[in-house]
Amino acid sequence: MERPSASSWAGVIFAWLLVAIPLGWGIYKTLQTAVKLFR
Amino acid sequence: MSSGLLSRERIIARTGFNRWLVPPAALAIHLSIGMAYGFSVFWLPLSRAIGITTAAPDDWKISTLGWMFTLFFVFLGSSAALFGRWVEREGPRKAGVAAAFCWSGGFLISALGVHLHQILLLWIGSGVIGGCGLGLGYISPVSTLIKWFPDRRGMATGMAIMGFGGGAMIGSPLANLLMNRFKTPTSVGVEETFVTMGLIYFVAMLAGAFGYRLPAPGWQPSGWTPPAAQQKAMITTRQVHVDQAIRTPQFWLLWVVLWMNVSAGIGVIGMASPMLQEVFGGKLIGVAGALRDLTEDQKTQVASIGAGFAALLSLFNIGGRIFWASLSDYVGRKRTYFIFFALGFVLYCFAPTAGRAGVIPLFVALFCIILTMYGGGFSTIPAYLADMFGTVHVGAIHGRLLTAWSAAGILGPILVNYIREFQIDRGVPAAQAYNTTMYVLAGLLVIGFIANARVRPVAERYFLTDAQLAQELGDKR
Repeated sequence: MERPSASSWAGVIFAWLLVAIPLGWGIYKTLQTAVKLFR
Repeated sequence: MSSGLLSRERIIARTGFNRWLVPPAALAIHLSIGMAYGFSVFWLPLSRAIGITTAAPDDWKISTLGWMFTLFFVFLGSSAALFGRWVEREGPRKAGVAAAFCWSGGFLISALGVHLHQILLLWIGSGVIGGCGLGLGYISPVSTLIKWFPDRRGMATGMAIMGFGGGAMIGSPLANLLMNRFKTPTSVGVEETFVTMGLIYFVAMLAGAFGYRLPAPGWQPSGWTPPAAQQKAMITTRQVHVDQAIRTPQFWLLWVVLWMNVSAGIGVIGMASPMLQEVFGGKLIGVAGALRDLTEDQKTQVASIGAGFAALLSLFNIGGRIFWASLSDYVGRKRTYFIFFALGFVLYCFAPTAGRAGVIPLFVALFCIILTMYGGGFSTIPAYLADMFGTVHVGAIHGRLLTAWSAAGILGPILVNYIREFQIDRGVPAAQAYNTTMYVLAGLLVIGFIANARVRPVAERYFLTDAQLAQELGDKR
């Protein structure tokens, strides 16, 4: 089977960033709440 | 529509397509529909939709609004079961687009319901139509990912299903931001928030649906060879039709496995935060005394710590989805569920002891591990099904298995609430009333363990013959 081209990985990084940025923001907001447990 | 924009034929990937583009497409859909878990953020503002600052006599009660949760999960399970075959036949793009219309349309109908102050429009909009969107969106990427990642089925489905657990993490703070932005002296801002979120989710879900690609027939990852049949007895290379799958004992054993794992997990999620507050009381804020002896200000501080605990649990819930599903690729699905049930049994039984000992970090750690296994149960089951029944009908089979989730949504809360009420009515102190519940939930895990132990490879008579399979694949093309 043909391997994906090197340039296709740029698209992969872009697509993952589109979902990782909002998810990262959500995790950050959740951590802000979670730290109350350790104060 | 057979060769239309949304058809299966249209999304067969070209040679050299990068399969790592498919998981973010699936995540875009699962992160959107995962907001179902975060809907409680709307309850308080909606309970003051008329009175604005305090609840007016005609305002909705939170218990009335809470029915949307029940509708979500009942319709998720039933629509996944009902439309699973349609999703397999028509392909993930059409299913993803239908899910986007249902989920986002539900938000818009709910906004109208808020505007007209008609609770039925919220129940039908978000609960019923949105719930169908949940079911379609949830199962839409599963078989696609399994086909793209035959070498790492668990990890692939774990990535998508992690998104369902993480959706509320984005949706809840976003909803709060929007409601604060839109609220006025005459509005709590929910109507405008519903419209905005509906549009955001519509765009995100369409982007995901149009990002789906199916591998060409016979495609395999470069350098990968399927394991020999004898080498991996619990992973079949053959196919079972969805109508045959539900006649096998394996399907019903896995149904019980999911039912028990989710029922116990839902039970724990419902009581973890109040349990922490009632068991440790003033100790959480460094003062002596039980929760009932604290001042209102101290109770508020304890409640804030309880909210922090719930947030920490949600992080472990989504972490467990990717961790356990990925691990199952190496240790096997059956062993992974054995770990869930055996380790879970020990942890559930030990939690009351940790509470009595007063060791807060140990108590918190126990629940965090338990929550990873609750999430892991959801994300590992599609790969388990693909191992047992093959990949051709796995989406439809998974859809039917999700009725176990609906059943768990009824069993888990009923067990927790009724056992607790029964205990308190008999004079058991509130802090100790959780102990029996934990032991009963541990009992559910024993049932799950036994069901998992009885799972064996599917009997020969249930598999499609080569001629039947060729016809099946021909029908799909």
